[in-house]
Amino acid sequence: MLVKRPPLFLYVTLAVSVGYFISAVGLGAPVSESGLTPSFFPILVGGAAIVFSSILILQKIRTEPKEPGASGPRNFTHLWVVLAIFIYIIAFKPAGYFISSGIFVFVLVVLFSSFEKLLQKAVISVAIVVIAYVMFQQLFGVRLPTLWG
Amino acid sequence: MDFILLVISSSTLLLDPLNLTYVVMGFVIGTIFAAIPGLTATLAMALLLPVTYTLSVETALMASASIYMAGMCGGSITAVTINIPGAPSSMMTALDGYPMQQKGKGALALGHAALGSMFGGALGALLLIAVAPFVAEVSLLVKTTGKFSLLAFAIVVVVIAQRGRIPQAGLAACIGLMLATIGLDAMEPITRFTYGYSNLTAGIDLMPVIIGTFAIAEVLIQASSTNDIAAATAAAEKVRIRRRDFLPPLSEIRKIGFVCYLKSSLIGYFVGTLPGAGGSMGSFLAYTEAVRTSSEPETFGKGNPKGIAASESANNAVCGGAMVPMLTFGIPGDPITAIMLGVLVINGIQPGPQLMSDQAGLIAPMLATLLFSAVVLIPLTLYLIGPYFIRIVSVRKDVLYAVITILAVVGSYVSTYSTFQMFMALGMGVLAFHLRRNGFPVITMLLGYILGPNLEEFLRRSLALSNGDPTTFLTNPDSLFFVLLTLVFIYFLVIKKPGKKLAAVPPN
Repeated sequence: MLVKRPPLFLYVTLAVSVGYFISAVGLGAPVSESGLTPSFFPILVGGAAIVFSSILILQKIRTEPKEPGASGPRNFTHLWVVLAIFIYIIAFKPAGYFISSGIFVFVLVVLFSSFEKLLQKAVISVAIVVIAYVMFQQLFGVRLPTLWG
Repeated sequence: MDFILLVISSSTLLLDPLNLTYVVMGFVIGTIFAAIPGLTATLAMALLLPVTYTLSVETALMASASIYMAGMCGGSITAVTINIPGAPSSMMTALDGYPMQQKGKGALALGHAALGSMFGGALGALLLIAVAPFVAEVSLLVKTTGKFSLLAFAIVVVVIAQRGRIPQAGLAACIGLMLATIGLDAMEPITRFTYGYSNLTAGIDLMPVIIGTFAIAEVLIQASSTNDIAAATAAAEKVRIRRRDFLPPLSEIRKIGFVCYLKSSLIGYFVGTLPGAGGSMGSFLAYTEAVRTSSEPETFGKGNPKGIAASESANNAVCGGAMVPMLTFGIPGDPITAIMLGVLVINGIQPGPQLMSDQAGLIAPMLATLLFSAVVLIPLTLYLIGPYFIRIVSVRKDVLYAVITILAVVGSYVSTYSTFQMFMALGMGVLAFHLRRNGFPVITMLLGYILGPNLEEFLRRSLALSNGDPTTFLTNPDSLFFVLLTLVFIYFLVIKKPGKKLAAVPPN
């Protein structure tokens, strides 16, 4: 018999809820002589989150499993996008706005299309970065980091 | 009456070139974002948020109002022309709009959609202007215990309104409440859940939460999507629309009838005042009412302009309704009003009962803009750039998502000039992406995050005032009212479940 495996996300939310609840309990007693303490509300919320996570996991286990392959083709571009954003943020201040943003936008354009017409995409990326710079720095007075100065 | 005069006098702010530019730009951008399937006016609002740091509060709120109005009617463009609603609120418009398009009357369907949007948007704005001051006065009567019960009511209603996925909504609300508890405690000098990380002492900033939830998560959703958008683009390229075909003949407007416009707008307005209901629910109820009261119900779904008029009048009237709880109680009804609330908070303005009495001058221009957008910008935009609207769908998606991503990530840097906020936005984006992919409504998370601090504070204050007696929530009349209201909603939405048709309405 096939048993439906709940998504990993539900286990993660359950683990986070349990961790949050334990941290909330660690804040001290929920009620003192002066009334409710800072731990009362988080204990309540953490407890509710554990209940909801458990219900969802049980629901998923009890539902009928889908036929294998019914979910269609999978796409992992979003993982590359997350990685690109992460590296961009790390490089943002040390490399400055122009270099980091230029490479970042080019990578995104390629990720959302294909590995073709790279020169055209590079030109588009530069244009986007310059327009965004004008918008933020010149129009809205936001100081963006530069490599020098 | 004073407030109405204030709104009228604040209309002069629209004559200021800078304000007018932002209002018109906001409307056009809102329309474009609502028209492109996969993008939403909420995303446009999220991208606007960092910009509000450099604008005056009035200008930022005016631009927000025009985006909101545009977002509700923009979705009808692709709903009518290629049968893909650009926004969930235009789902019902597609039912009659697309059959009209197939009969070669696409422009006329868009004209009816614009007329309905104009009527509903204007009536919603007028009702808001007339009603909000009274609601604000009444809201001043609500004391601490009542405020807790009201906030609890809002969260409970948003959760139970998520038909068929209440546990997901409940967990999402809990996640929002958890995020809200991070940082300094509101009543005692104790930090919670910071784990020694000083950047978290002040709590999680609203800006990265909104940008992450609506902009970065949307980009990740699109990146992971396997949908073939080329088909939509190809379909859009075949559509030809002429400007002269937009104007609906008077005979058809008479056939639809003033009562249909009025009733649909009122339905939309009242649905808008309920937290979490939104434009899709408003247009659905108005559409079903139009079918129910029609002498020829069999013509609906086959190109009846009355269906378009009902749907579009209602979803635009939602704008006015949703602002009532946001302005008077600080409770956002949908993601866009949540971001508007963010605009107020970022500018140091505390939304709530005092807002309408103490800072009505800041709010009045926004309401004037809402009316201006409905009466002037909807028909003008349609007539001037209507024939080119459908070309919007053909825009290069790689360039579009790259632009959105850089605006979102750099935008989250603006508030504190710290890369920490950028990481927070990314973290929130990843969280919201997984929530959405697993069927969790992110609006409940956002509402939990926004209302969490006040919910906790009012709970603790109420119990402190009553020496820890929880019956205080039942013995105070204002609190009892909201407790009973919560029970009524639980009865109608959970115990006595709504009909199958209502359950089929997709959430916003």
